[in-house]
Amino acid sequence: MSRKPGGHGPAASLAIYAVLALAVLLAVFPFIYMISLSLQSDADIYSGVPVIIPQTLQFSNYVDIWERAPFVRFILNSFIIAGGITLLHLIFDPLIGYVFAKMKFPGKRVMFAALLSTLMLPFFIRMIPLYLLTAQMGMLNTYQGLILPFAMSAYGIFLMRQFIAPIPNDLIDAARIDGANDLVIYWRIVLPQLRPALATLALLTFVFQFNEFLWPLIVVSSTEMRPITTGLTLFNQEFFTQWNLTATGGVILFLPSFLLFLITQRYFIRSVMMSGMK
Amino acid sequence: MAYALLLPGIAYFTVYFFYPIAVEFWASLFRGQPLIGHAQFAGLANYVVALTDATVRHSFLITLVYAVGTTVFTLLIGLGLAAILAGPVRANALIRAIIFFPYIISFVIVALMWKSLLDPYTGILNSVLITLGLPTQNWLSTPSSALPTMIAVSVWKDVGYAMLIYIAAIQGIPEQLYEAASIDGAKPRQIFTRITVPLLMPTTLFLAVVSMISNLQDMSAPFLLTNGGPANATRLFSLHVYETAFVQLEIGYASALSFLMFLIILLITFIQFKLLGREVAY
Repeated sequence: MSRKPGGHGPAASLAIYAVLALAVLLAVFPFIYMISLSLQSDADIYSGVPVIIPQTLQFSNYVDIWERAPFVRFILNSFIIAGGITLLHLIFDPLIGYVFAKMKFPGKRVMFAALLSTLMLPFFIRMIPLYLLTAQMGMLNTYQGLILPFAMSAYGIFLMRQFIAPIPNDLIDAARIDGANDLVIYWRIVLPQLRPALATLALLTFVFQFNEFLWPLIVVSSTEMRPITTGLTLFNQEFFTQWNLTATGGVILFLPSFLLFLITQRYFIRSVMMSGMK
Repeated sequence: MAYALLLPGIAYFTVYFFYPIAVEFWASLFRGQPLIGHAQFAGLANYVVALTDATVRHSFLITLVYAVGTTVFTLLIGLGLAAILAGPVRANALIRAIIFFPYIISFVIVALMWKSLLDPYTGILNSVLITLGLPTQNWLSTPSSALPTMIAVSVWKDVGYAMLIYIAAIQGIPEQLYEAASIDGAKPRQIFTRITVPLLMPTTLFLAVVSMISNLQDMSAPFLLTNGGPANATRLFSLHVYETAFVQLEIGYASALSFLMFLIILLITFIQFKLLGREVAY
């Protein structure tokens, strides 16, 4: 029962709620301030005192910004890249997860260990050779070049394997006796039971790929191929001191993740707690 | 059949994970731009230069400070919040969601928000300090405060993730252990330090490894918050490698630096397992 803070008496209880209130304030305030900045006029920005609640809300910032940089194209690129990567994960991660969860073959242990070892090869370590390979394949500044390096992940495969393992073997053996091969079993029996797991995988993959910054920075050379992350960064460098416009761009980049999180919040939190996945 | 189904995976991980490590080592043996431009074989000369270069040593040291600092504070604060929120607190789910949210936001936004809050002239933080009669700071543009400020921003972003993982782990500890301890007359603080913390060791190890690997290679924070300045005070290793490779186009030398980082990450992960990875049994 010691997990309950209520057991410590009113003073401790008060302290606990004070800590939580501070944590929530710290977490939320930067976002509120960004939204406030995005609605401020140049006069507010240059007044020399920080303004939290602008006297007039200058919604025209949200109109102006589209004329200053091709944000529609940036957002479209982000959806194409993050969406493409998510689709590839949905195709391959559960399939490979199934092979490791339910099939027997020589070399399985070694191959699974090799797969997990890729978790120790973070992207930054591979950045330069990936650039060289992508250049050699003629994929610089293309969607393929932005998507393919992230097509699968050991995390995703491991997660799918965890979900597939509890599916009863009897079900699979029965289908095999009826003459179904593994691809049919995977498609007809395993995949339909995997829907919540696939939603988890899609959600986490999409949100984190939508934020990807480093790879597009290296691979993209033309403005119209930029996703919103690098598009906005280069826009911000140009309008460096104009906090209202940079904040407006920030809110635009923030909205897709925020809305997705708002809709799937309970589910999202549970997924992260369950998977320990990044 | 199994091999046929694995084929796309084998191809992908070979091309995008294992082969690149070999390519990186190969490229590190050249001066210039191996594989895509003019290059000259140099043997291990790049490694000799890297190990004697003061800029490299400085940037490696601050990267270590950044990664350890971010990891320690993220885990401590995350554990503290988890200890509170694993219990029955009002609006529990909402509070968890709010504290977690910064973790899923692009660092582009994080940097933009904090740079505006920390702006020495128009930022909120300094104006609050003035109101309270405290001295102000050029947070991100003073060499002594830039790195700690960057650590604070990273902790702000990451802490919700550590909190969630810790909450899940705390809820997985069998209730009987707590009941037995209460019956034996243990105080809440003793229960926390003697039962909860030791039993969370595997979780702490997991979070520490993940956080160290991701922060040792973090480029978003220095690139977006400070661009390595002032006076290289936040020029983390990743940013140094990025600029060496893609601004100065010294791809061979940058490959050597990157390969060294790969060895260091392996070593640090191994040490973490040795230090924290003792068996825990209920």
